[in-house]
Amino acid sequence: MVPAAKISITGLGIVSAIGCGVEENRRALVEGQSGIGTTYSETLPEGLLVGAVKQSDQELLQRLRLPNGYYSRTSLLGMVAAREAWDGQSSHPSLRTGFIGATSVGGMDQTEQFYKQYLQGRKVDFKSLITHDSGYTMEVIAQDLGLTGYVNTISTACSSSANAIMLGARLLQQGRLDRVLVGGVDPLSMFTIQGFRSLMIYDEAWCKPFDDARVGLNLGEGAAFMVLENEKSIEITGRLPICRLTGWANAADAYHQTASSPDGKGATLAIGQALQKAGLFPEEVSYINVHGTGTKNNDLSESIAMQNIFGDKLPPFSSTKAYTGHTLAAAAAIEGVYSVLALRDGMLLPNLNFSTPLAETGLSPIVELQTGQDLTSVLSNSFGFGGNNSSLVFSSNGY
Amino acid sequence: MHYIKAASSITHQPSFQQKGFAADLSPLSVAGEVIAPNYKEYIEGALLRRMGKILRMSVAAAKDVILQADAGQPNSIVVGTGLGCLLETEKFLTNTLTLTGMLPPTAFIQSTHNTIAGQISLILENHGYNMTHTQNTLSFEHALIDARLLLDEGQELVLVGAADESIPFLEEVSRNLLTASLPVLTSGASFFMLDTRVAEATVAIIDVKVHFGAEDRGAIVFDFLKEHDLSYPAIDLLMTPLSMQQQGLDSFGKVFAGTRQHTYLDYSGLYPSASAFGFHMAIDMMQMDRRIGYTLIINNLSANSLGLILLKNCEA
Repeated sequence: MVPAAKISITGLGIVSAIGCGVEENRRALVEGQSGIGTTYSETLPEGLLVGAVKQSDQELLQRLRLPNGYYSRTSLLGMVAAREAWDGQSSHPSLRTGFIGATSVGGMDQTEQFYKQYLQGRKVDFKSLITHDSGYTMEVIAQDLGLTGYVNTISTACSSSANAIMLGARLLQQGRLDRVLVGGVDPLSMFTIQGFRSLMIYDEAWCKPFDDARVGLNLGEGAAFMVLENEKSIEITGRLPICRLTGWANAADAYHQTASSPDGKGATLAIGQALQKAGLFPEEVSYINVHGTGTKNNDLSESIAMQNIFGDKLPPFSSTKAYTGHTLAAAAAIEGVYSVLALRDGMLLPNLNFSTPLAETGLSPIVELQTGQDLTSVLSNSFGFGGNNSSLVFSSNGY
Repeated sequence: MHYIKAASSITHQPSFQQKGFAADLSPLSVAGEVIAPNYKEYIEGALLRRMGKILRMSVAAAKDVILQADAGQPNSIVVGTGLGCLLETEKFLTNTLTLTGMLPPTAFIQSTHNTIAGQISLILENHGYNMTHTQNTLSFEHALIDARLLLDEGQELVLVGAADESIPFLEEVSRNLLTASLPVLTSGASFFMLDTRVAEATVAIIDVKVHFGAEDRGAIVFDFLKEHDLSYPAIDLLMTPLSMQQQGLDSFGKVFAGTRQHTYLDYSGLYPSASAFGFHMAIDMMQMDRRIGYTLIINNLSANSLGLILLKNCEA
């Protein structure tokens, strides 16, 4: 059998509640600055705590130097992050290049504004609905970068962008593509805010991932993308690998349409298979960026899953959701970027708003930034509705 | 090589559990309703009552494929959908805009695109890879490519399918946005079991390709066939969503002048993942007529996307 192709990460791009660009995000992470606050927008409920990107649609359009037109916030946020990650690369005749985005609600931010006016019987512009479907929101981003050929969108709720990253890696390993831009986006929308409120898992105060007194999540918005390249591609593009993507797995919990199983079955399978793919023993994991939404159900189920795999030798872990809010389909890509930064800069990121360990498991996350760490492999978990569980493993170049 | 072990479609045609259905299809002139089986035979009552149309169709077709294949659990479940669970999405959207206070969560829970694949995993108690692709008119082709990757990675059985549903609001949108005269809007779900082991007489998937971008389609099709040492006359059956004339591709149609051709949207009606119906139609025709060697399905429904599927009749 041909040895598995090395997959290098050579570019990162991100926009989230804690900043626009990798450097702004890194600084906020290091300084412990959360981006969650009361809403910026007149279309969202006043006083609600969300992780909003601070620029309005109009400001994003200007930043991107785009003419006025029909754009969902999803595509705008996606273009900001994708342009940063792609860094103006050009097409190359001997490199097969692909694009895989992820979103859970596509252009719902536009659709819900349209539908409100429609229900009120006001004059509506049907053309704004071209931005609704998820595939289209990603095609706009691909077109902006001049990417053609394999262009795809994954939609598996809160694990979406982990699955986009995973699919990109698989296409590279099987020699179908040489390089691929992968990631995900979701905007804040009334649809998702009211959705999580209806499930009674929206915390009206600051979310407290992995705390015994946690009551729910705060939603956020954002986008993140990363460039994956095989060795042939790196030889041609000359880009420097930041680190490698070495493990990935997706498994179904098959327990409940929204809730995670009490025994963490799907999550245990995903973590275990991702480590196996990376060829790592559990004790070789240096840090875990957990899914850690701050809901009663997720954090307990994820704790059990981690105990299933790591026993009493659990590596340092933290959730960064109290910085950004839960960004749904963008979460795994945003946290993938944070995992890569942790690995690159040798730092363990703090889990904000934590004070008391879960009574059931007694697990405590990292609460203070720790620098100067020698990290070799970082595990990132993302779990979604429909029992969709995904784990990724990022490893340092030499590993 | 990847083989089609079982196929099941719930559509506006009598396609469900009807081997040979493709032989005498009548073009669809009015949308009407899907020709549904008795869902109670496939889905437990309390669960069925909570499910919208797209979920009922998908779960029943998926279960039918599992029964037909009679090979136990698939290693993975992969689904393509262009627009997802529209009925539940519209219902929850309306609730957020018209109701105050606590909203019922069911429509929100069932609104996400991966409700389909997730529900199938729940019902089958399947813990394998579970994926949902949503790429407009190429959603099914993308699901098929993923399924083939899994088989090439060592899996043996993969359940793959596509589903979309129409709602009245979509018709209003289409009247306002689409200018060309297109087939009636419909719903459909098609599921297939792919297997790495060959059966006695079966249809094999030779290759699947997707292309986004407005490049020369003729050249892409030519290169695709050339990769398999084939030329246009080697294709015995050609499936396209619309006729070449309807799509302004007359010259392209000429190279396949001698090939038996069917335009599948005439029968399925229009929904984003309808190429899955074209795929089932082709398989059915190939199984009924073993003289059909190669079949090419060209999905050029969207102006900037091209999907190609190459099938071949095989004997063990």
